[in-house]
Amino acid sequence: MLRRLAGSLRALFGSKAREIELDEEIQFHLARETEKNVGRGMSAEEARREALVRFGGVAQTKEATRAAGRAVLLETVLQDARYGWRTLRQSPGYAAAAVLTLALGIGANTAIFSVVHGVLLQSLPYGGGDRLVRVRVDASGAGIQDGRFAAPEIEDIRALSHTVEGIVEYHSMFFVLLGGTEPERVQTGVVSANYFDTLGVTPVVGRTFLPGEDKKGAEAVLVLSYSYWMRAFGGDPAVVGRVFTMNDRPHTVVGVLPPIPGYPEDNDLYMPVSACPFRSNPMMENNRHVGMMQVFGRLKPGTSFEAARSDLASVAARMEHDHPSDYPASARLTLSPVSLREELTRQARPTFLLLFGTVGLVLLLACANVANLSLARLVRRDREMALRSALGAGKGRLTRQLLTESLLVSFSGGLLGVGIAMAGRGLLVHFARRFTPRAPEIAIDVPVLVFSLAVSLAVGIVLGLLPALSPKRALSASLQDGRDAAGSTPTRLRARNVLIAAQVAISFVLLVGAGLMLRTLWKLSHVDTGFRSERVLTARLSLNFTRYAGREERLDFQDRLLERLAHEPGVRSIALAGTFPLNEGGPANGQYDVEGRRASSPDQKPRADFQRVSSDYFTTIGVPVIRGRALATTDRFEAPVVAVINDHMARHVWPGEDALGKRIEIETDPGKMTSVEIVGVVGDVRQYSIADAPVDQVFLSIRQFPGLGTCLIRTDGDPKRLERALRAAVHAIGPEQPVDRIRTLDEVRAGALDTPRLTATLLLLFASLALTITATGIAGVIGFSVGQRRQEFGIRMALGALPGTVRAMVLRQGMRQVLVGLALGVAAALVLTRLWASLLYEVSPTDPPTFLAVALMLLGVAAVACFIPARRATAVDPMVALRG
Amino acid sequence: MPPSRSDLLQGTLDVLVLKTLSNGPMHGWGISQRIQQVSEDVLAVNQGSLYPALHRLEEKGWIAAEWGNSDNNRRARFYSLTRSGRRQLAEETESWERFAAAVARVLAT
Repeated sequence: MLRRLAGSLRALFGSKAREIELDEEIQFHLARETEKNVGRGMSAEEARREALVRFGGVAQTKEATRAAGRAVLLETVLQDARYGWRTLRQSPGYAAAAVLTLALGIGANTAIFSVVHGVLLQSLPYGGGDRLVRVRVDASGAGIQDGRFAAPEIEDIRALSHTVEGIVEYHSMFFVLLGGTEPERVQTGVVSANYFDTLGVTPVVGRTFLPGEDKKGAEAVLVLSYSYWMRAFGGDPAVVGRVFTMNDRPHTVVGVLPPIPGYPEDNDLYMPVSACPFRSNPMMENNRHVGMMQVFGRLKPGTSFEAARSDLASVAARMEHDHPSDYPASARLTLSPVSLREELTRQARPTFLLLFGTVGLVLLLACANVANLSLARLVRRDREMALRSALGAGKGRLTRQLLTESLLVSFSGGLLGVGIAMAGRGLLVHFARRFTPRAPEIAIDVPVLVFSLAVSLAVGIVLGLLPALSPKRALSASLQDGRDAAGSTPTRLRARNVLIAAQVAISFVLLVGAGLMLRTLWKLSHVDTGFRSERVLTARLSLNFTRYAGREERLDFQDRLLERLAHEPGVRSIALAGTFPLNEGGPANGQYDVEGRRASSPDQKPRADFQRVSSDYFTTIGVPVIRGRALATTDRFEAPVVAVINDHMARHVWPGEDALGKRIEIETDPGKMTSVEIVGVVGDVRQYSIADAPVDQVFLSIRQFPGLGTCLIRTDGDPKRLERALRAAVHAIGPEQPVDRIRTLDEVRAGALDTPRLTATLLLLFASLALTITATGIAGVIGFSVGQRRQEFGIRMALGALPGTVRAMVLRQGMRQVLVGLALGVAAALVLTRLWASLLYEVSPTDPPTFLAVALMLLGVAAVACFIPARRATAVDPMVALRG
Repeated sequence: MPPSRSDLLQGTLDVLVLKTLSNGPMHGWGISQRIQQVSEDVLAVNQGSLYPALHRLEEKGWIAAEWGNSDNNRRARFYSLTRSGRRQLAEETESWERFAAAVARVLAT
């Protein structure tokens, strides 16, 4: 078989060896002909010429010979394909089941591979590629993890590093953009002029920033992100040159970026550092304590990651040496490189690999099922095969026939599967977006298609060669049998039983995986978040920094807004806050001192999450005041500064004492420490993630520290009805103030579970697919063996066996494989589920209830799958069966 | 579709090769000599056109090839009839005889 295949391939591609063989053969012919002619009395030269004449053109003969081989190969392939098509059309049930099963398996694999390829495998869509790094700063002694850089520190790194070139800085802020249809709040990346050169990004329209555009006094320019350009300007290239107002200054659009990952943030547009009113503030330029920037660079050619690591470590040592008061040794300042590629994919890796493993198992299962179907079909085709081989078809030819058929099936399945994957791409991108900014890169592109092609080919070959491995029945036996389905050989039966057990085992693993994720989801959605999310409207408000620079202006805005909204019908209470639980954003960590036990050094100070909230905040989101009072409207500038802390902090900082009346010191302005009295203790909430336990929190009055972030309204009825009133109120006070991200607190809470919910949904989808395939597989195999044994059952019943006994016998035989599979599945799951421990919440990877529930469900489904054909076994009229 | 002239010639050559090989394995030159000899030079074909035919028959699985030593101890490629080749020959012979008989009947009238 393989030799023939090789021969065919040689003929197809005109291999060298075959060419030499043909040459030798012709030379032999000519030599013999020449000898013969010499024997007739010709001279050697004459004899040779005569031989060549009789032969008639060596080159033409060679070409004709090669062509003959090709034509025959093509002819047989087409013949096989036509024949295969006809046989498949004769059993449409088998063909449809096989194609559909494989389509689901290959489709799932294509889809997930497109995610794995787009996000984890292909190199970054930046010209700088995989040499790009982010410089990370830590000061473990001062409690700083992955901190931000201050301007002078960036200068230090630029001057001192020998291994990282093209050092650029980045931070992102919200500004209000005026000049479009309405004031819009835009997320703006603030970057060095050569930021896009370091990354290696070429604009699709216009240009990026020029050297010097980040210097003080430069004209303010903007570069739009691709998605913002599409969204706000419909992809109009004429946007280049337009002038917009931001921060009370004209800004000119100079270019549009290509679609690149929304990393570090999904910015709408970018400006050079000189255009950012905060970054260009002289205090910022020289202060080592106000850090908000991230630093990126590119490893110099030939530099290893490790070299960069030690180089950056020495940069940190040098900074500590030069500025001992800013970086005390106890703070343990460290700088390290982080591969950008790693950074962009780290969060996605475990989930995506888990899904890839899952669909791999689904494909295995699908293959096992189709293999089972084909084995059953092969038994019926024994006679056809025997007949064809008696008529002279070689074993190779028959194998090739079966291979062609299974390739037809697998490629049809593959084609359909790619269609399924294409249809699901949108959903997958939506899903992947939660894990990585690279999600838009997911595409059914050439590498993905090659993958599907390879999978289809592999599946087709395996399924096609499987029958070749199973022993043939003796020719005469097959032909002598009068009946069509002449019974299976024991080997085939055993093979099919093994396949059933394997299917059950794989299904068990997949179901347990899905079950564990569901349990996690259930646990997460039943976490007591500490606040009441129903009937609360939330919105994001952003004050224009330049217009509301002073705290008086801000306070005035806040007060007017609260007053206006308080009188709206349907409003029960209203609050303003920097942020609220489960909103986007990380902890606002700040340091403080407990009065009476001042920390010995700055980095020993305790830290807490500081929030600014208005007086009705706790009422509005339903957080109970446990002791003391909530913040009040009277807590404003003139009044003494007070704070409310959460229960966690009260117990943690003052264990066994009453926190009320205790005082802490916080730095309210640079260098100015203020004593703050604790006037109340409130309940704990899950502030940043449902899965994370509460942290120490300090709530300050937004009237003492004005600054808007969000607005929260508790309502009597549907909170969404107040959306219009909220917008109107804000615009009445400040026509240029954007109001956006309007959601109910319920939506916010549900959104916090989107990631585990989507993961669980996908896993459940694949597991259900697996269960369905397995159930049909079991029913198919049992049904087939019941069909084979009709006579036997007839005899048994004629001899007095009760239908129940026969049914039990069939059931027992079927369930034996299922139990074996279940045992294997439990063993495999005990090992494999450890891999997804990182995705679980308060559920053990070997959670006994999950294992038990899945085992029972699988047993139940398998029993039903066995029972349906078992009932048919006893529906046989003994007389009919015996005569048949 | 009626067979074209070349098809007929090709088919004829195929049958002759199969028939020749039914007496035992033989190399290309031997086959050409044999056909010439048996047909008393009436069917003298261009010797080169034998090779595409041999190749075609091999691809179809009707004949198999193997390298061996010829009578004067030179390496030669020997062809032999396979089982399906033998069946093909029987089929071809039968249809050829039917055809010849039909032609003979027509001519006898």
